[in-house]
Amino acid sequence: MKRRINGFQLGLRAFWYLTLAFLYIPLAYVVAFSFNSANSYVRFPELSLRWYERMFGNTALMNAFYNSVTLALTSAVIATLIGAILGYGMYKYRHLKLGWLIWFIYLPIVMPDIVYGISQMTFFVTVHDLTGMLKPGLTTMIIAHVSFQVPFVALLVYSQLVRMDPLLFEATQDLYASPLQRAWFFILPAISASLISSFFLSITLSIDDFVISFFTSGPDSTTLPIFIWSAIKRGVTPEVNAISALMIFAVFSAGLIIYIFQRVRPPKDPTNQ
Amino acid sequence: MNPATATGMSFLALVRQSWHVLATIGPGVVFIVIFLVLPSIMLMTVAFMTNGPYGLPEMPFTLQAFRELAGFGFLGWSPGNLYTLWRSIWQTAIATSLVILIAYPIAYYISTRPAHMQPLLLLIVIVPSWTNQVIRAFAWMNILAPGSAVTNAAYNLGFLSEYMGLFPSTFAVVLGLVYNFLPFMVLPLYASFQNLDHRLIQAARDLYATPVKAFFQAVFPQTLPGLMAGTVLVSIPAFGMYVIPDLLGGGKSSMIGNLVARQFSDASNWPLGGAAAMIMILATLLGLLVLRRVGRRAGGGREVVL
Repeated sequence: MKRRINGFQLGLRAFWYLTLAFLYIPLAYVVAFSFNSANSYVRFPELSLRWYERMFGNTALMNAFYNSVTLALTSAVIATLIGAILGYGMYKYRHLKLGWLIWFIYLPIVMPDIVYGISQMTFFVTVHDLTGMLKPGLTTMIIAHVSFQVPFVALLVYSQLVRMDPLLFEATQDLYASPLQRAWFFILPAISASLISSFFLSITLSIDDFVISFFTSGPDSTTLPIFIWSAIKRGVTPEVNAISALMIFAVFSAGLIIYIFQRVRPPKDPTNQ
Repeated sequence: MNPATATGMSFLALVRQSWHVLATIGPGVVFIVIFLVLPSIMLMTVAFMTNGPYGLPEMPFTLQAFRELAGFGFLGWSPGNLYTLWRSIWQTAIATSLVILIAYPIAYYISTRPAHMQPLLLLIVIVPSWTNQVIRAFAWMNILAPGSAVTNAAYNLGFLSEYMGLFPSTFAVVLGLVYNFLPFMVLPLYASFQNLDHRLIQAARDLYATPVKAFFQAVFPQTLPGLMAGTVLVSIPAFGMYVIPDLLGGGKSSMIGNLVARQFSDASNWPLGGAAAMIMILATLLGLLVLRRVGRRAGGGREVVL
């Protein structure tokens, strides 16, 4: 089918670039002003790295960075493990009447952050009052993050398993593989791509979250988003541009890595019909 | 052997299968039940309790919190909470409509590009939403602040008096919502466009339908599942948005999420917060129902994961 370049096509293309501008200008603005020598969003006398220097000298901020990384990595590992097992179970027993399972998958995805965070906060506070366990801090934050990462991991793993040829499962059985051998030599390699993307998606979800972290955190478990939030609230923002620029940079690097990863290894799926 | 035929299975095999089901599905479900379902039920229970003098819920069970939500405080009736509720609804509605208007052509545009380009274009749309929402709101605060280029332009065009910023305002909140949720609409719509049955469009054109008519008769109905899914994915979280109204809006554009948060911080009224949260949970469940229904229809009666 030959496409004519007409007014409609041109308009559509223009609209696309306008939308890109809408999406990217705010972020570019933050990055640009992180190099501003003045503490202003209006004047831009000259380029400078002073906010970056101040940022690295700020121990509270460095601590928040450390907390964010710990939280993201720990929760992503746990969530990938639990979620992959769940996704595998959903696939293996999909013939059983497990339709209700989907509620547990959808619920964390669509539940408003604020209700999510606050119900977990009241839960953790109550449990802590009653038993002394689950003091608000990094532990409660890790639990909270795992709870919203698990459904995404389960979905990713499930959808990769669904795309495989079910006969392969039977083949492994016919070849007398023990369940453990089957898991190690067949299932794990088969779902490795979705495990890797689950792990990175979980990290992204964790770093991206503010509301749930905010309500489940303790006084000593400030993460970067919480640090930025309180800096904005106090009206002290010069370093915020610098740290935001770095976080934007990190996110775009992640995007680039995912893109390259997909290009180099296109969803390799010999079993795909 | 087909494990589905449980009737023909020996008791031992049944036990073993149950154990396998529990071992695989169990941990994830138990985790979500303990740390999400249980807390939500607790929060809903709190909504029916009495607010104690220290801002903590106490017995007995009452409907006091819901009366307060409807505006009946001890100082008589005031419409403040109802205004907040109403505002959450219409700000969400406007933002969702704008998101649809932007996302529809964008999703179509991406689906018309060469196949190898499409993942990249999608990624370009999605990646900004991976940055933290606090940073995204902060970015708009900078752009809409007094003295910025955009604000000056608005002033010169006569939309704004001098020394004012474009935020805090309802405008800024809606803008922030649109910015935040655009990718959530583009993705499901793109999926719909990608699966578009072009034969139907060709058939419509062969039957001398005008382009507009062909669109509404042949294209639009096919994208309806994606549109519905996107609407749920955008409007439910937008309705419960907390960060954007808090940073970009003032008291006059705060939403139900802010109302809930306030009851657990400054205002210290857990039952009222629980009651407001319950409305949000109900809205969420409603969204889930719609999403499942749409998913079923798109999957031809089978359970599909959108």
